[in-house]
Amino acid sequence: MRSLYSERKTWLHAVPAWAKLLAVAVLGTAFFMVDAPWWLAAGTLSVVLAFASLGRATRPARRLVISIAIVGLMIAGFHAWMDQPIVGVVSAMRLTSACLLGAMLTLTTRFDELLSVFETVLAPLEKLGVNTSRLALSLGLMLRFTEHFFMQWRRLDDAHRARTGRAGGLKLLAPLTIRMLLTARRVGDALAARLGQ
Amino acid sequence: MTSAASGSSGSSRSLALVALFAALLAVFGMIPKIDLPFGVPITIQTLGVMLAGCLLGPKRAFLSIALFMVALAFGLPLLSGGRGGLAVFVAPSSGFLIGWLFGAVTAGAVMWSLPGSSPRALALRALLASFVGGIVVVYAFGIAGLVLLAKLSPWQALVAPMAFVPGDLVKCVLCAGLVHTVARGVPDWGFGGRRAA
Repeated sequence: MRSLYSERKTWLHAVPAWAKLLAVAVLGTAFFMVDAPWWLAAGTLSVVLAFASLGRATRPARRLVISIAIVGLMIAGFHAWMDQPIVGVVSAMRLTSACLLGAMLTLTTRFDELLSVFETVLAPLEKLGVNTSRLALSLGLMLRFTEHFFMQWRRLDDAHRARTGRAGGLKLLAPLTIRMLLTARRVGDALAARLGQ
Repeated sequence: MTSAASGSSGSSRSLALVALFAALLAVFGMIPKIDLPFGVPITIQTLGVMLAGCLLGPKRAFLSIALFMVALAFGLPLLSGGRGGLAVFVAPSSGFLIGWLFGAVTAGAVMWSLPGSSPRALALRALLASFVGGIVVVYAFGIAGLVLLAKLSPWQALVAPMAFVPGDLVKCVLCAGLVHTVARGVPDWGFGGRRAA
């Protein structure tokens, strides 16, 4: 699994994950509460500058940034065409800053750092009966199954090629579905045997 | 295939199935997307939402979409086009994303409540369930999101995503077809969360 995380160290990598998560949540909300265009413009500009200060570490998110820019321009253009340019600029700025904040968090924070923050945040739920280690297990299983889908597909495709000399294409959808469902059952039974529940 | 595990959401089999369908959504996300204006992409991920509802039932379908969203929030680029991170929850299309949760629950509930257990009846149940859950409910949330986040007028927000409806109808048919396949291939499957699956 490839994540957006950038190995290239920046100043933001050193900030603890919980602080970044909190900042994203607070600032994201603030951008939606503020209506004054000039305040929003100042805020958006500082977010853009902060994002730019990460330098080459932002490379994995380049496609994301391009699509944000296009969508922002479209929204602004659409509203300008509808004779409400200010509304367009305001929503484009909100969108840009919120997306960039999220991207900054993802670029500079490792998956397991976030996971441990979430486990800490979720810890009180443990008392209410929510099993947080089960949540972590589900996340791990999900990532394994994602790979497994591709493996199964390749195996079925190879078998189909061996029989007919052609790629299987959509014909493989039915056997793939059934195989994956049965795999999930088997994994579930294996887990039941291990966890005893 | 006798079942030692019960069908409740606490069992290990449920955990494996929940993870499996979250993974299915992730796999569908790796298929490239096409963007229409307003930042709402065409993706086959809603097919995953429909399938989760029809094959897992309301409760586990909800859990599986929720698990997928936790992984998204952790920054994994699992939405079509490699989008991920907290940013996607404030993007203009985030209404559709939230709608997936309730769409899957609705599809599961409709699937569960309709009568008939022959493969053909199950396929018809799935067709109706995926239409109500995967289209009606998802669009209701999506349109509300466009009004609130992209500041479109309700009329514009209603018209803009209509371009996707034909594609989504194809997904309903695909979903019904896959349910038909599973009904024949795995006769003891508990559709819509009936009994143990």
